[in-house]
Amino acid sequence: MINTAQDLKEYKKRLKKALNNEFLRAAMGTFASAYKEAQGRLLAGVDVSGLTREIAASKDAALPRLPELYEAFKARAEAAGVKVHLAGTAQEANEIIAAIARDNGVQKIVKSKSMTAEETFLNDHLEKAGFEVVETDLGEWIIQLRHEGPSHMVMPAIHLSRQEVAELFTRVTGEPQEPDIGKLVKVARREMRKHFLSAEMGISGANFAIAATGTLGIISNEGNARLTTTLPRVHVALVGVDKLVPDLATALRVLKLLPLRATGQVITSYVSWITGTNECALGPGGKKEMHVVFLDNGRLALAQDRVFSEALRCVRCGACANVCPIYNLVGGHNLGHVYIGAIGLILTYFYHGRKNARAIVQNCLNCQACKSVCPAGIDLPHLIKETYCQVLKGEEKQPLKNRLLRRVLKDRRVFHFLLRRASLVQKPLATGEGFLRHLPFFFGKEHDFRRLPVIARVPFRDLWPRLYQQVDQPRYRVALFGGCLVDFVYPEQGVALMQLLKDQKVQVEYPLSQTCCGLPAKMMGEKEVAREVALQNLAALDPADYDYILTLCASCGSHIKEAYPKLVAGEPGAATKMQQLAGKLIDFSSFFTRVLKVQPEMFQGEKKKVAYHSPCHLCRGLGVTREPRELLATAGLEYVAAKDEDTCCGMGGSFSLEFPELSAQVLQKKLDAVEETGADLLVTDCPGCVLQLKGGMAKRGGKVRVKHLAEALAATLKEGEKGK
Amino acid sequence: MKSPNLSQLFREKAEAVQVLVREVNDPAEACGYAVDLTHSQGGAAIAAPGWDPGVLSLLKDHCGQANIELLTENLRDHAARLHTGFTRADWGIADTGTMVLDSSSEDLRLATMLSETHIAVLPLSRLRATSADLEEELNRLAQSPPRYLAFITGASRTADIERVLTLGVHGPLELHLLLLKDGSS
Repeated sequence: MINTAQDLKEYKKRLKKALNNEFLRAAMGTFASAYKEAQGRLLAGVDVSGLTREIAASKDAALPRLPELYEAFKARAEAAGVKVHLAGTAQEANEIIAAIARDNGVQKIVKSKSMTAEETFLNDHLEKAGFEVVETDLGEWIIQLRHEGPSHMVMPAIHLSRQEVAELFTRVTGEPQEPDIGKLVKVARREMRKHFLSAEMGISGANFAIAATGTLGIISNEGNARLTTTLPRVHVALVGVDKLVPDLATALRVLKLLPLRATGQVITSYVSWITGTNECALGPGGKKEMHVVFLDNGRLALAQDRVFSEALRCVRCGACANVCPIYNLVGGHNLGHVYIGAIGLILTYFYHGRKNARAIVQNCLNCQACKSVCPAGIDLPHLIKETYCQVLKGEEKQPLKNRLLRRVLKDRRVFHFLLRRASLVQKPLATGEGFLRHLPFFFGKEHDFRRLPVIARVPFRDLWPRLYQQVDQPRYRVALFGGCLVDFVYPEQGVALMQLLKDQKVQVEYPLSQTCCGLPAKMMGEKEVAREVALQNLAALDPADYDYILTLCASCGSHIKEAYPKLVAGEPGAATKMQQLAGKLIDFSSFFTRVLKVQPEMFQGEKKKVAYHSPCHLCRGLGVTREPRELLATAGLEYVAAKDEDTCCGMGGSFSLEFPELSAQVLQKKLDAVEETGADLLVTDCPGCVLQLKGGMAKRGGKVRVKHLAEALAATLKEGEKGK
Repeated sequence: MKSPNLSQLFREKAEAVQVLVREVNDPAEACGYAVDLTHSQGGAAIAAPGWDPGVLSLLKDHCGQANIELLTENLRDHAARLHTGFTRADWGIADTGTMVLDSSSEDLRLATMLSETHIAVLPLSRLRATSADLEEELNRLAQSPPRYLAFITGASRTADIERVLTLGVHGPLELHLLLLKDGSS
């Protein structure tokens, strides 16, 4: 039934098809905007980061204790008449549940939504064993009738239109049904009542298994979970062993954020707390026959994993899908196997294997939107790259781009030599505006959504001897981390920086042995290469020598700040030095506003309407949001807000080369929003975003100019303030 | 001293999820409301499990006058006929607009789930600010199983088709909360 693309070629075919699905695109687009708007409104006044930290900490504390929590739950629940099972595998869980059904003379089973049952393909198993299984959650029922998997963890049928549902219900009921949502819901109500009243067994999942009292916590909006656990005489709950929490307090804390993040509700309509075998007129002795089947399926081992245990913090809210620019383009069936969205890319590998994960896991922009909304604070983009790294290890043949990257990136001299060579080779193709006249032959047509920049004739490192200024009694000693794009593509951004620093009494060094930050390696799952270049950069930039490590590139910056310490975690010496390096890293606008505290007097105050693109790795990666806008105001530029300013531009480094059609779509939305503002200039503070936005704007023949914030500021410096 | 603000907050949060909130002075007024509403909606039966004899006799009088059937037990046998579920609420949680009901009794669960309209009576003295303020009580109840506790916040709802909010997919289409003045307010 679920058939996930197992290689990139097939995967890209399906992505293309999804991009052509008008309904899906429109539905996903409205959903994304509405979700974002509701989050802003609902979360005002809620200590979201505090709650997120608490949830993460309580989950992290529970994970190593799962076996102990399981024993405690079992003791409590069994004392209250419940039978508790632990299934090692999906197959085992399905067999246990089928056996319970057989032993109790069951024919019909009603189910309330359970992602864990989706994970084990429980319905298939039970149907093959001869039982009638009816999903009672409206969305789940719809996809069950269509023989599909869920396209969202909370809204499983979000990919379908009312027309499609009406056609389906017409077929199922044998009566014509109008595409009227209210009426369609009534059809489900009527049909489901019959099933609820005639089923002998109800299967539910659970959001919490509370060890202290042996209580299950189940949240739902429709109320089908309450009916499923009440009307039939047998109740079986299938629960991932990771849902064990020590106490009610922990569950209540999760409940404060889960519904807000999932659907923008303060709380769901129903939360049921079930302890022991409750009253049931049809059950033996007037009591419910109740079983709890805990599913391991790798979770207990995962809980011990130094890197991946974090994935088990997941509370299945689906927020990581809600905000994902890719999910919002192609939908859940193209971004997961059973579990979808960012967490799905990770869990698919562990629960459903490498073959199902190998294509989809590459479809991540690393824009960090998911991470910023995860109520359990999971570093999803990081784990996605770690998963890709694991996937690659299992591949017989490594992709060509990976083999090349391994060869080239680790040796700075070779890498820089090749860049200089490329500059010579492309010379005849260069236009006056710094673009390639046309794409090199090895690029397909789908890459032609933006113009590509030429590699600079003279890289920044060769300009450096001329730019270097010796400063007497400097206020600060700063190392500039250029990054490949500033160094070899946009040296003018570095030149602009030096102009701005001219009278600031800052001693800037540009250590020439610095190399690529290594983010491209991380993006391609080449963790070892990423680690090696990180160490090379550490050798080039001893944090003890500087007050700050300054960068114009938000991507390099957030990679150094966040990923570097992780790459060398636990390595004697390096781990400490890397923490120091990360601690001293600062982005351009924070340096100018918070450290140098530049004043409006420096600038001409030229009135110009300026739109701003907030780079993912700046606003989410480094948490810098106010400073760039303050800096624009200081420079006297008139900032005009654009829609979805902090949504990714679609660059994502190598992502835009691997998935050009997706990158193009994300970019178009961004450029449309910018043009709507009527701005003359678009600024951003990441050269990667500049590449994407500038190339896209040129391709569409737009009038808005695109610059790095440093260039925009340097251009409006008062005459006397400009350097040589 | 906390009650006026709490009840205000509760009302705000509950109304935000389409709960119909109103204050009543005594159980008689609540019974009258339940019967009138049932009558105006064309309902034929009220399921009212779990009430003490005092309230029950008030309710019986009102039902008799309006010619509405009163059901108090074995509700499973009347599943198709339950128009109104009329129950108490054990607590209210103000910051989410939630009513908490110990529905360990099967009839209580059926009345609150199979009915078209659910009317619950919440004494103002049982209002708490947050769920954390109920932790002790809820834990105590869970420690004497079997126990089926329910947080109910608004009517049954779905947004599964095109994310359009629709009320009453499986459970009640309407939830009415009657805040009962009971001295502490």
